[in-house]
Amino acid sequence: MTGYLYEKDLSAMKYAILTSTRHDRVVRSIAEELNIPQIKLRKWMIDHFDMMLLENLPARYDQGRMARETNPPLEKKIGAALYTRAVPLISDGEMERIKKEVYALVKEGRPENDAVLAGREMIRDVILQ
Amino acid sequence: MKRTVDVSIPIGPIHPCFKEPARVKCETKGEFVLSAEVELGYMKKGIERIMRGRPWQEVMFLAERVCGICSVIHNMVFIEALEQMSAIFVPDRAALLRVIVNELDRMQSHILANFSYCYTIEHETLAMYLLDVREQVMDELERITGARVTCAYIVPGGVRFDLRHEDALHLKANLAAIEGEVVRYMHMFESGPLIALRSRGIGVLTREAALEAYAVGPTARASGMPEVDRRLRHPTYKTLGFSPVSRTEGDNYARIMVRFQEVLESIGIIRRCLDMLPEGPIRGGGIPGAGEISYSGEAPRGELSYFVKTDAAGRVLDISIQTPSIMNIEACCHYMLKGVTSLADVPSTFVSADPCIACTER
Repeated sequence: MTGYLYEKDLSAMKYAILTSTRHDRVVRSIAEELNIPQIKLRKWMIDHFDMMLLENLPARYDQGRMARETNPPLEKKIGAALYTRAVPLISDGEMERIKKEVYALVKEGRPENDAVLAGREMIRDVILQ
Repeated sequence: MKRTVDVSIPIGPIHPCFKEPARVKCETKGEFVLSAEVELGYMKKGIERIMRGRPWQEVMFLAERVCGICSVIHNMVFIEALEQMSAIFVPDRAALLRVIVNELDRMQSHILANFSYCYTIEHETLAMYLLDVREQVMDELERITGARVTCAYIVPGGVRFDLRHEDALHLKANLAAIEGEVVRYMHMFESGPLIALRSRGIGVLTREAALEAYAVGPTARASGMPEVDRRLRHPTYKTLGFSPVSRTEGDNYARIMVRFQEVLESIGIIRRCLDMLPEGPIRGGGIPGAGEISYSGEAPRGELSYFVKTDAAGRVLDISIQTPSIMNIEACCHYMLKGVTSLADVPSTFVSADPCIACTER
């Protein structure tokens, strides 16, 4: 033993949490929606989330998806509250910027689905940058 | 999550007031807590992995070993999940006996949680009184099931032992004594000026934050969310005219008071069960078969969910357990502890959420 147990790298423990049945379902679902490779999303979560947030990820995600139903239609499709409050992948400030840009695209005449896809791409860029 | 702050204070993994090891890392500015993290990994059991591939007859015993404090509800939720999956009938007498044992388990768990809190705020007298009354509840649990913990009382289609007439009389008499003592201790807690100083307005969890973190059980009910009580959706509880306890303050005081009030509510539920207890069999028979189900029940700390997948022989192919402490500890470290103005309030706020590390590190 050369170090204290509580000072060691927690990545392995965090990875073990993320690969359980329910967590894996959540990671796959987010990765699919945002078009991010699962492995990159897992790595990002391990680097940025603490252990309790990771443990609670499925409950937060399910709760966030339920709350999403009450959001305005465009924000619901982008996952504005889901990816900032429930699963905090990006900051509120970044999401505000993305929302403004998506609303601007719709105003310019872009179909709503295209604007949503562009919004999700922006979220992905923020996560992967 | 890393930021530059005045001081980073680790509390735990070994702390005299924590029942189990967990490390709370607080980033502070003076005594003011800016943020907190809880690190786990000191007692990971990997019990879900151990359960996979085993027959249900073994898994039912493993399930109640997830947690030593609320073992009855783990047993109950796992067995009821199997029963739902395989349409196994439970006789009325057995269903009510399950509720009696589950409520006794809830009572001892709540009293233990309140003991821990009183001990953490250094009110040792009240803490010891509470431990004493918990022993009386444990004695009743032992009288009915034959064991204090890991009772394995609930089996598919019924319960293991019947309640004898003399035991029912003893339980009724003892409940009256326990009720009197709990009411007395609750008033001591309510009226203690020093208790109020350490508890009121501290570790506040707002309803919005509780919703966001999906807080459950008494932690959520103390923040004005009575609807989170899973007992409201349980067929046997529905027949008992039960209404959940709720408060709106959302602070340490409210969480402890909700547990006191729930102990009294549990006594009422047990009395109603004893009054309604019909004569009849305690086992309806039935063998779990193949299926897949997600089933939830109300543990002492909140919603406990089991996802179970079995094959035709009743072997567990996949299982996933979502324990209430996962949500409550997360709500505690990211919402309640944030903004606490004294480091002395960190352990008490943490304990007020009744964190069960054994459940979390299942």
